[in-house]
Amino acid sequence: MRLTPRNATSAFLAVCVLTFFVTFLSGCKKAEARKEGEILIGFSSRDLSAEYTAKLSEAVVDYAKTKPGVKLVMVDAQSDVQKQFSQVENFIAQKVDAIILNPCELEASTPAVDRAKAAGIPLVLVNQVTKSAGDSYIGSNDFDAGRIAMEAIAKKLNGQGGVLMLHGIMGTSAQLQREAGAREIFAKYPGLKLVDHQTASWDRAKAMALTENWIQAHKGKFSAVFAHNDEMAMGALLALERAGLKKDVTVIGIDAIAQALTAVKEGRLDATVFQDAVGQGKGSVDAAILLAKKQPCPKETLIPFQLITRDNLSQFLK
Amino acid sequence: MNAARPSLDRNFLNRFGILIALFTLALVLSVTTDSFASASNLTNVARQVSINGILAVGVTFVLLTGGVDLSLGSVVALSGVACATFAHPGDHSVFVPIAVGLLAGAACGLVNGALVTLGGVAPFIVTLGMMTIARGLALIFSGGRPVADMSNELTALAGDFVGIPIPVLCFAGVALAAWFFLSNFRLGRHIYAVGGNENAARAAGVPVEQVKLFAYGLCGLLAGVAGVVLAARITTGQPNAGQAYELDAIAAVVIGGTSLAGGVGTITGTLLGVLLIGVINNGLDLQGVSSYYQAVIKGVIIVGAVWLDRRQARS
Repeated sequence: MRLTPRNATSAFLAVCVLTFFVTFLSGCKKAEARKEGEILIGFSSRDLSAEYTAKLSEAVVDYAKTKPGVKLVMVDAQSDVQKQFSQVENFIAQKVDAIILNPCELEASTPAVDRAKAAGIPLVLVNQVTKSAGDSYIGSNDFDAGRIAMEAIAKKLNGQGGVLMLHGIMGTSAQLQREAGAREIFAKYPGLKLVDHQTASWDRAKAMALTENWIQAHKGKFSAVFAHNDEMAMGALLALERAGLKKDVTVIGIDAIAQALTAVKEGRLDATVFQDAVGQGKGSVDAAILLAKKQPCPKETLIPFQLITRDNLSQFLK
Repeated sequence: MNAARPSLDRNFLNRFGILIALFTLALVLSVTTDSFASASNLTNVARQVSINGILAVGVTFVLLTGGVDLSLGSVVALSGVACATFAHPGDHSVFVPIAVGLLAGAACGLVNGALVTLGGVAPFIVTLGMMTIARGLALIFSGGRPVADMSNELTALAGDFVGIPIPVLCFAGVALAAWFFLSNFRLGRHIYAVGGNENAARAAGVPVEQVKLFAYGLCGLLAGVAGVVLAARITTGQPNAGQAYELDAIAAVVIGGTSLAGGVGTITGTLLGVLLIGVINNGLDLQGVSSYYQAVIKGVIIVGAVWLDRRQARS
């Protein structure tokens, strides 16, 4: 069958009408489903394609299901600040009782927080802070993560040697604080030298290419790689293994994603820093419920980081 | 209106211009860094350009017909996820995940082609739609998480064969086949004819729709190849991989002298464009240039190369 312009147009219109109806009907269902006295929470996740965030978001959704009288709607911002801003605006328009925001960025996500505040809707920040404080923050101090990871490198190298650092997306609060924490350790051990540092945007393929290039430029001048997350640590690890240099180089990441734990178990990755995704997720739901009920809620709940090496790995594997 | 006639002079100048740029850059890097000219670094560059190279060869076909494919990066992610899903150790023979990855790519390409030819929708719109559809499918199939636990047989695809990285061999094979095809097959000449002047080609009896369908399908298939190679390289199928890969691929093709209007361009040019971008990326990393400056420098070089090319073409 040949698609003429005319029947193509009618087909397109039909699809539009269908889409409209489906959206409309599901919208009605949602509105009806909201019972009297039910607490409605809107949750905007930074990026469900990032393993750590996916784990956290899953914990938020699952934990909210165990709470009677609570309904949680999750949306995915896909690392797009603009998209997340509109999602928060939509939550405000829906008059949710509380918002849980897992912000994309330190600075750029701030207007979304301010908008919720202006609308008088309580907002919980999870995992990452913004310039404006929310009503509650559940997370871990990324400064500590950078410090713990670099301290482990310093110990491994006996305070002497060259280090390469892979940054996350520049300007995210995790990147800024993890770098600041690491720099504190560099100041403490004058024998540690930062040979080169560059962003690989939390991305494994980019970290791998960058490490390959660094191996060419700085071969023999570095004995450790500190990556701001495990995805990049895995990229650096693959590049070093391929070049046959892994035995001379310590690699440490942050987040304790499943693959990193497996790599630690196999003795490939030296260590990772555990950030409690499930603890953060649950904590944010608890805070949102307290705030929605207008009950007192702590301004900040910090969930500590822990270094995972082969020695204490077993307690973190499910 | 004789755009269909690729002038010999112009092609010659094109290649010559980029070659000069490539050599100058290589020379500067050899002098200013200790590591650029080493055999291991050059292998490194070759390995890093291979994925962009495979994509660039594919999109050359589409650009030659006067179309464009913006869905490449998402199709790479989808193929990678599809491949990794079937690549768990002990599940299937290594050929199954490869075939699934390639099929996913080819299917996206054929859908693009069908909508462009049968639906009559502008390629920009069709492939923009496919860009988000393929990304969405990659996220759906993977549940938003990287698909890990790939068999060693598959990840070995990123390893070496007689000292040469397999991705480089894939790229070389693809480029060679494409070059041979475009210059020696009737369908190859039809691709130039369609891009040069579609109406004239149709009047001359060229099956325009089939030619375009072939170009998009092939481009999708090669995006599938790139997806499988990338998954092998990073040992996971990443639903968020390949962001903006289409831009690097199209930039390489355009630097290589292919006209966005269609009908003019060569695989040799594309090859040089890919190498130029690869050497720039590698060189800037070796020099320790911050990634902020890298982005600016890359943009300037892309626009500069095309501007020079057009000036030469006019004179």
